[in-house]
Amino acid sequence: MSILTLLFYAIALLIVAATAMAVTRRNMVHAVLYLVLSFFGTAMLFYLLGAPFLAALEIIIYAGAIMVLFLFLIMMIRLKKLPGMFFPVGQLLPAIFICAGFLAVSSVLVGGNPEGWTPMPAAQASPAAFGVYLFQTHWLAVEIASMLLLVALVGAYVLGRRVRGPSADTRKEAP
Amino acid sequence: MIVPLNHILLLSGLLFSLGMFCTLARRNLIMMLLGIEIMLNAAAVAFVGASLHWQQMEGQAIVIFILAVAATEVSIGLAAILVVYRRTDSVDPAMEAALWEKGGRP
Amino acid sequence: MQPATPLPLSLIVTAAALLLPLLAFGVIMLATRSRHRLSAAISIGAAGLSLIAAVYLLVQHWQMQAPLVFQTVWLVSGQMAIPIGILLDPLSLLMLTVVATISFLVQVYSLGYMAGDPGFGRYYGCMSLFAWAMLTLTVSSSLLQLYIFWELVGLASYLLIGFWFDKFSASEAGKKAFVMTRTGDVAFLLGLVLLWLQLGTLDIPVLTDPAAVAAALSPGMITLTALLIFGGIIGKSAQFPLLTWLPDAMEGPTPVSALLHSATMVAAGVYLFSRLFGYFSLSPTAMAVCLAIGTISMLLASSMAMVARDIKQVWAFSTISQLGFMLMGLGSGSLFAGVFHLTTHAGFKALLFLCAGVLIHRFHTNDMFEIGRLGGRRLKATVVCMIVGAAALSGLPPFSGFFSKEMILGQLLASGHPTAFLAALLGAFLTTYYAFRLIFILLFPLETDDAGHADGHGAHHGAWGERAMIAVLVCLAGVTVVLGFFEMSLHDFLARGLALDEAAPAHFTWLPMVAGTLAVAAVLQAWFEFGRKKARQIGWVERIPILADLFGQRWYLDRLYRYLLDTLVYRGVSRLFTANDRRVIDGALDGLGRSTIGLGRVVDWVHGGMIQYRLMIMVAAVILLILFIGWGG
Repeated sequence: MSILTLLFYAIALLIVAATAMAVTRRNMVHAVLYLVLSFFGTAMLFYLLGAPFLAALEIIIYAGAIMVLFLFLIMMIRLKKLPGMFFPVGQLLPAIFICAGFLAVSSVLVGGNPEGWTPMPAAQASPAAFGVYLFQTHWLAVEIASMLLLVALVGAYVLGRRVRGPSADTRKEAP
Repeated sequence: MIVPLNHILLLSGLLFSLGMFCTLARRNLIMMLLGIEIMLNAAAVAFVGASLHWQQMEGQAIVIFILAVAATEVSIGLAAILVVYRRTDSVDPAMEAALWEKGGRP
Repeated sequence: MQPATPLPLSLIVTAAALLLPLLAFGVIMLATRSRHRLSAAISIGAAGLSLIAAVYLLVQHWQMQAPLVFQTVWLVSGQMAIPIGILLDPLSLLMLTVVATISFLVQVYSLGYMAGDPGFGRYYGCMSLFAWAMLTLTVSSSLLQLYIFWELVGLASYLLIGFWFDKFSASEAGKKAFVMTRTGDVAFLLGLVLLWLQLGTLDIPVLTDPAAVAAALSPGMITLTALLIFGGIIGKSAQFPLLTWLPDAMEGPTPVSALLHSATMVAAGVYLFSRLFGYFSLSPTAMAVCLAIGTISMLLASSMAMVARDIKQVWAFSTISQLGFMLMGLGSGSLFAGVFHLTTHAGFKALLFLCAGVLIHRFHTNDMFEIGRLGGRRLKATVVCMIVGAAALSGLPPFSGFFSKEMILGQLLASGHPTAFLAALLGAFLTTYYAFRLIFILLFPLETDDAGHADGHGAHHGAWGERAMIAVLVCLAGVTVVLGFFEMSLHDFLARGLALDEAAPAHFTWLPMVAGTLAVAAVLQAWFEFGRKKARQIGWVERIPILADLFGQRWYLDRLYRYLLDTLVYRGVSRLFTANDRRVIDGALDGLGRSTIGLGRVVDWVHGGMIQYRLMIMVAAVILLILFIGWGG
C-alpha cells in the first residue's frame, strides 16, 4: 500500500464527510462552505489522479465562481423559517430508499466488473499536452460550450431583470 | 500504484447518491440546485478516474464540458430561483406548486 | 408475395369489380350523402362497372378447366397465417355475375322507387356496402374471409331492413333478422374454429378436395363441422327452424327485399353449401339433414304463403320455400340442380318483388285485395311481368323455373328419395296455387272503384323514374324467359371447371308431363276459387279454420320462440345473469371505480406540482432502467 493509496482514502473520506455535512446543514451558508471544502478535496483528488489542470479549474470554477454565486444568492434573499419539520417524513423516507437503491445497484454493477479491481499505475497529463489535445480533437465542442455559456449569460440577465412599467399593469389585468 | 478503478467509481457513486438525496429531500430550491452540483461533481470524479484507467485524455476533456454545463446551469438556475423568490417570497418547491395551483400566475 | 410477376388481368378486373362498390360506399357516406342524385349516380356507376367486369370475367373464363386462385397473406401471428384472396371458378363466376346483375338492376329500379325519400343518399350508401360485401363473399378463397363478408352482408341487411328506422316495426324487424341470423352464425363460427383446429387451414380449395379432407379428419368430425356450418346456412337462408325473420324483413324498402331477401343475400347460405359441396358430400348424415331441413322449410313456407294477404309476405314465404327447394336439390347430391335453381330463382324472384314494388309504390298498400280493388290490373306491363314471374315460379313450361325445378325433381327421384320427391311435388303444387291465387286476386277483384282514380294518382310520381322501373322489369322478365334454355351450356360450364363427376342431369320423359299437369291443375284450382266469375275468393285453406289459423300464425313458430325465450331465457338464464350482473360485474365495476378514485388520489398527490416527487419517480425509473440494462444486456 503506497503513500498515494493512503492519500486517496484520506481524500475520499474528506470529500464524503464534507459533502454529507453540506447536505444535512440547516443553515445554507454553512452548507455552501462545507461544499467548498468538498470541492477542494475533489481538486486534490484530480491532482492525485493525474489531472492537474482540472484540479486548478475545479478550484477556480466550482469552489471559486459557482459557490460564490450561491453565497451571493443566499445573502440576497432573506429566508423566513419554514414551518414544520426540517425533513418531512413523507419525503425523507422515499428519498432515502431511492438513494440507497441507487447505491446498491451501482455498487453491484461496478463490483461485477473484474478488470476494475487491479490497481492503476500513476500517470500525469501535463496541462500543455491536455490543452493541445482538447483544441485539436474537441474544438467544435469547446465552441459549442462557449455558445452555451453565452446563452446562460443572456438568460440569467433576462431572468434577473426586474419587471417594471406596462408589464406590471398587464399582469394586474390578467385573470 | 494507486487504487483500483472500482474504488473511484464507488466513491463517485456515493457522492452521487448524496447529491441525489439532497435534491430529493431538501425542501429548498437552492439546496436542490446544490445537490445537482454535487451530482455533476461526482460524475466528473468518475470521468477522471476512467481517464486514468484507460490512459486516455478523453475523460478529462469531458470534465471540462461538465464544468461548463455546471456553470451554465447554476447561473440560469439561480436566476430562476430569484424570480420565484420575488414572486412567492419563498424558495420552497411545494409553496411554489401550491401558488401555481391556486390559479394563474402567483 | 408476388410483386415480381406481372399481375394477371383477371385479378385486376376482379379487384376492380370488388373495390368499386366499397369506394362508392366510402364516398357516399363520407361526402355526398346529402346530395341525392350524385350519390345515386356514384353507386349505380360502381355497380354498373362491377357488372361489366363480372360479365367480362364470365366470358373470358367460359372455357376454364381449373379454378384460378390468387392468394396473399393478410395476417401472420406465430404459426398461423391468415390468407386473403380471390377464388375464380365457374361457381363463383356465375354467382358473381348474378349478384352484379341483380344489384345493378335493383339500384336502377330504386331510382324510381325511392325517389323523394329523405334517406336517398344513405340508401345508396348501404346498397353499395351490400354490393361490396356480397361480391367479395362470392369470390372468397378461404372460409374465414367468407365468414367476414358473410357478417358484413348481415350488417348491410340490418341497415336496410331498418332503413325506415323511425317506424317501430321496421327497427324491430331489423333487430330480429340480425339476432336470428346471428344464432345460426354462432354455430357457423364454432364450426370454423373446430375446422381450423383440426385442419389448420380454411382454404376452400383444400376443403373441397375430398381425398385430402378424408385423410385428415375422422368421419365423425366431418359430420360435426358440416352440421355446425350448416347452422349458419339455416340462419342466413331462413330455413326451418330459423325462418321467421324473413317475412318480417319485408319491412324494408321493396327493392331491398328484392335484392337482399330473395335474390342474393339469403341465397348466400345456399351458395355456401354449394361452395363446400365436396366437403358436405363426405358426410351422408349432413346431406340427409340438409335434405330434411330443405323439405320441411319448403312445405312450411308454402303453407304459410297460401293464406297471407300481404303481397310481399307471399313472396317472402315463397323465397323460403324455394331456398328449401335448392337445399333439397343439393342435399340429394346434385350440385348443378341446386345452383341452377339458385340462378333462375334469383332472376324470377327479383322480378316478382320488383313488380310488387311497382304496385305498392303506386297504391301505397301491401294488401293484395286492396290493390286489386284499386285497379292493379290497369298497370299492364307490370301485371304481365308478374304473370311471367309467377309462371316461372310455378314451373310452367317455357319459363326458367320449369327447367330448374324439373331438374331438382328428377334428381330427387334418381337419387332414390321417393318421400322427398312426393313432398317436392306437393310443394310445387302449393307453390303454383298460391302464386296464381295472388295473380287472380289482382286480376279479378270482387268489387272495383278504379274509375280513372289510379292513373291520376300515379301521374305525379315523375315519368322518368317510373320508366326506369318498368325497364328493369322488362329486362328481368326477358332473362326469366330466356334463361331456362341455357341449361345445358351452364351445366357444361360448371362441369368443366369443377370437375363434376355427376352425369348429365337425369331426365325422365314422363316427369315434365306430370309436373306440368300438376301445375296446370293448381292453376285451375286457383282459378276456380279466385278467378272465375262468382268466385267467393276464399281459398280451401280458409274454409278449414284450424289450418287457416295454423298457417296464418306461421305455425305458431314465433309464439313458440317467444314462449321458449320467456321460460328458458328470461326466467332461467337471465335471472342468473342478472344476479351475476348485480353482484359480480357491478361489484367489480364499482370496485374498479373506487380503486380508480383511490389511485387518482395517489397520482394527484404525486402530481401536485411538487417537483421533488416527480424527480423521485424519474430517478426510480432510471434506476430500474439501469437494472434492466445491467441484467438484461
